[in-house]
Amino acid sequence: MNAKRELPAKENAIFKNILRNYEHKQYKKGLKLADTILKKFPEHGETLAMKGLFLNNLEKKEEGYEFVKKGLRYDLTSHICWHVFGLLYRSDKNYEEAAKCYTHALKYNKNDMQILRDFALLQTQMRHYDALIETRTQMLQQKPTNPPFWVGLAIAYQLVGKYDLAIQTLEAHESALREMPVNFEHSELLMYHNRLLEEKGDIQAALEHLNTIEPKVCDKRALKEKRAQFLLKLNRSEEAEKAYRQLISENPDSYAYIRGLIAVKGFDSGMKEDLSLHDLTAEQQSTMLGIFDDIQKDYPRSNAARNLPLNYAKGENFRNRADVYMQTALRKGVPSLFVDIKRLYTNAEKERIVEELVTGYAKSLEENGHFNEDGTQAIEPPTAYLWTLYFLAQHYDKQRKTDLALQTIDKAIEHTPTLVELYMTKGRILKHGGKIEAAARVMNEARELDLQDRFINSKSAKYYIRDDKIAEAEKILGLFTRPDAASPLQDLTDMQCMWFALEEGDSYQRQGKLGKALKRYHTVDKFFADYFDDQFDFHTYCLRKTTLRSYIDSLQFEDNLKSSAYYIRAANGAVKAYMTLADIPKTANGMDEANMTEAEKKKARNKARKAELKAQKDKENKPPKKEQVKEEAAPKKADVKKPTDEDPDGEKYLKTQDPLASALEWIHPLEQLAPKVIDTHLLGFEVYLRKGSLLLALKALVNSHKIDKNNGQVAKNVTRFKEAVKAHPPTNEDVKAVIESQLATIS
Amino acid sequence: MNIRQATPEDLMSMQNSNLLNLPENYQMKYYLYHALSWPQLSYVAEDHKGRIVGYVLAKMEEEPTDVPHGHITSLAVLRTYRRLGLAEKLMTQSQKQMVEVFGAHYCSLHVRKTNRAALSLYKDTLTFNVDGIEKKYYADGEDAYAMRKNLIDTKKVVPRGVVEEINTAVAH
Repeated sequence: MNAKRELPAKENAIFKNILRNYEHKQYKKGLKLADTILKKFPEHGETLAMKGLFLNNLEKKEEGYEFVKKGLRYDLTSHICWHVFGLLYRSDKNYEEAAKCYTHALKYNKNDMQILRDFALLQTQMRHYDALIETRTQMLQQKPTNPPFWVGLAIAYQLVGKYDLAIQTLEAHESALREMPVNFEHSELLMYHNRLLEEKGDIQAALEHLNTIEPKVCDKRALKEKRAQFLLKLNRSEEAEKAYRQLISENPDSYAYIRGLIAVKGFDSGMKEDLSLHDLTAEQQSTMLGIFDDIQKDYPRSNAARNLPLNYAKGENFRNRADVYMQTALRKGVPSLFVDIKRLYTNAEKERIVEELVTGYAKSLEENGHFNEDGTQAIEPPTAYLWTLYFLAQHYDKQRKTDLALQTIDKAIEHTPTLVELYMTKGRILKHGGKIEAAARVMNEARELDLQDRFINSKSAKYYIRDDKIAEAEKILGLFTRPDAASPLQDLTDMQCMWFALEEGDSYQRQGKLGKALKRYHTVDKFFADYFDDQFDFHTYCLRKTTLRSYIDSLQFEDNLKSSAYYIRAANGAVKAYMTLADIPKTANGMDEANMTEAEKKKARNKARKAELKAQKDKENKPPKKEQVKEEAAPKKADVKKPTDEDPDGEKYLKTQDPLASALEWIHPLEQLAPKVIDTHLLGFEVYLRKGSLLLALKALVNSHKIDKNNGQVAKNVTRFKEAVKAHPPTNEDVKAVIESQLATIS
Repeated sequence: MNIRQATPEDLMSMQNSNLLNLPENYQMKYYLYHALSWPQLSYVAEDHKGRIVGYVLAKMEEEPTDVPHGHITSLAVLRTYRRLGLAEKLMTQSQKQMVEVFGAHYCSLHVRKTNRAALSLYKDTLTFNVDGIEKKYYADGEDAYAMRKNLIDTKKVVPRGVVEEINTAVAH
């Protein structure tokens, strides 16, 4: 033990108070007490470290690190000093460094519960599950009376697929809880136990387990869903049917329940959307439709029961069903009818039938106020005609008959000039026809018809952005953003508004303002980083709350975050911008001047000179590596405190020394998480080809070809690749052979 | 339109619909908090392509001074998907779960005083009653109507414990 660590009794008591102050978040008080010790013992490492910790929590990060490091220098074998150092890194979200510190801390006190607890959270966040099992085991051994520790170990086992151990752990824990009253937390725990049995693959055991826990489960719906699924898997059709019918009675709009019932009836692919593409025999078709008709009779308000049969019905049967379905919706004025129906257009016959029906309605309604010539029903409300025109306009637009679509929507607007939806559709038709400016104007007219509605406000702004009128767009958006925010942009960024950042990014890219474009794409990347950090607190929270099924789902969601379409869109934009930067020949000073006016060039050159001077200076007193990490992380917190953006134009992205490397940072997560999305490989190809990494480019090319060999870009890339090989033939014979054999598979 | 319980995977789409539709917005962590505290209470409506076109984000209020009750944090249906009864269907599912899973006695929510469309939806379609006015409830200083809807038949309030005991007796 370090002799300097021992404090006299009085100071020792104060130090204990300091630790308590930290636990109770009394940072200012703790700081004062630390100073009283340091007055007498200025070299007491642990007190110095604690002082640093308080400072860090009082938003004095730089000083905080200074004191912690000083503390460590005086007492390198103190678990407190290392633990505190880890906490600082953790608050900076530098999980790697934090983990190293915790490892040191545990070296000097392997049983410290607080360190173990913090370490477990970090290991979960970093997905170091094998190490997590060790930590969790140690925690449980030390404190077997703490329920979350049992749950924590079970989860750790589950996460590496050791279901037997996870189940054993839970069973041991539950045996101590036999007499638990019925409550939510216990119920959740039992349902989690059931999920482990299911994931292990023992469906029979899972079903039996459900029956035993039933009286203690509050989440009855989940229990019934699981029972139905298990019965279906075990081919116990009669019981499964009953179970699914029960579920449908509770939610007749659930596709999963209805598909379950269809699967029970022997339609294997009942769970799949594209069942309609399979050829059903006449008999199968009538069984299937019979099931829907039964549900519809029992639950006339179920949209699913009326809507789904349209996928399976054919010929006259389809015509009759579509006729009833569309008339009902047009009478009611359901704006989404066309979006709903157009999915059926993958079948040319259905498209033709729909067109015949709806053009018939329009003619008949105009002439005599009925959907049909025969006129057996009462006169329809005048809005029926309006919604029919609205449908037809979208139908023609989908067929790219732009003039006809515009004529039709104008007719509707003439009929009722105050309906927002009509203008929105007109705007969309214009946009599809390439008339962006007119589209934005019409969308703004729509907005002005209903100033209270944020949806139309957002749409109008989006169209202005498409027309590269950013200032107008932001002004309109400002009507709904928080008045106390520095700007609409600031509020939308604080609120993690994806669509906005993506649209503006694309707009700036079109305008050749690559810095600003990259700024927006990196804003999206920051949203994703924040989403990932958001889960940290829940590693503790969920173990206590025992909402473990959702917790496990949330971990999977976080793991796959970047396979999201939003990320893929941002990656497309960012990589494209970086490729532009990479392709522009650099001027002597390294500036990209291709898109600049003379004045901009001058400004940029000045800036570059200044940056160079600064870089020179920085180089002279270059900080050690750890400091660098710290400095990079520093602006994050500052962002929260002062919303002023020091780089609104994204200049720092333009200054990247290696645009290809910057682009790869976007692509790597996609290669891991979205290998089945063609964009991943098309983007990868662009970068690898420019880097001259022929084999990687080839791999990306082959992958994209596997996903969609008819994609136009893939064909172009094959040619580009061949040219690149011709221009720089590989010297290695093996490489040559691989390229030849792989190319043969795709050309 | 498919109505189903929301999962963590839906949260990003829910946040996006919220930002498109409503003036009250939240960061992702708040959505995550709902999904990981009361996973049974939030529902989504999705179209045939799996796009989220409406959602209800709900929670339980567990104040020691009051009976347990649910609260609607946010409800949105994209303008282009109105008149399908989605708001009502989402609310029905959420409220059923409030009662069944958490023993809620009533459900509460806030609505902007000037938002006549929402007020009429809650009052007429969803049978909520105005319970009072909360002055300056919103960040911009606007008042809110506090609304609530009774979820249990007050005549036959059976404490949950008793019900469960009966169920247990039947099961054995």
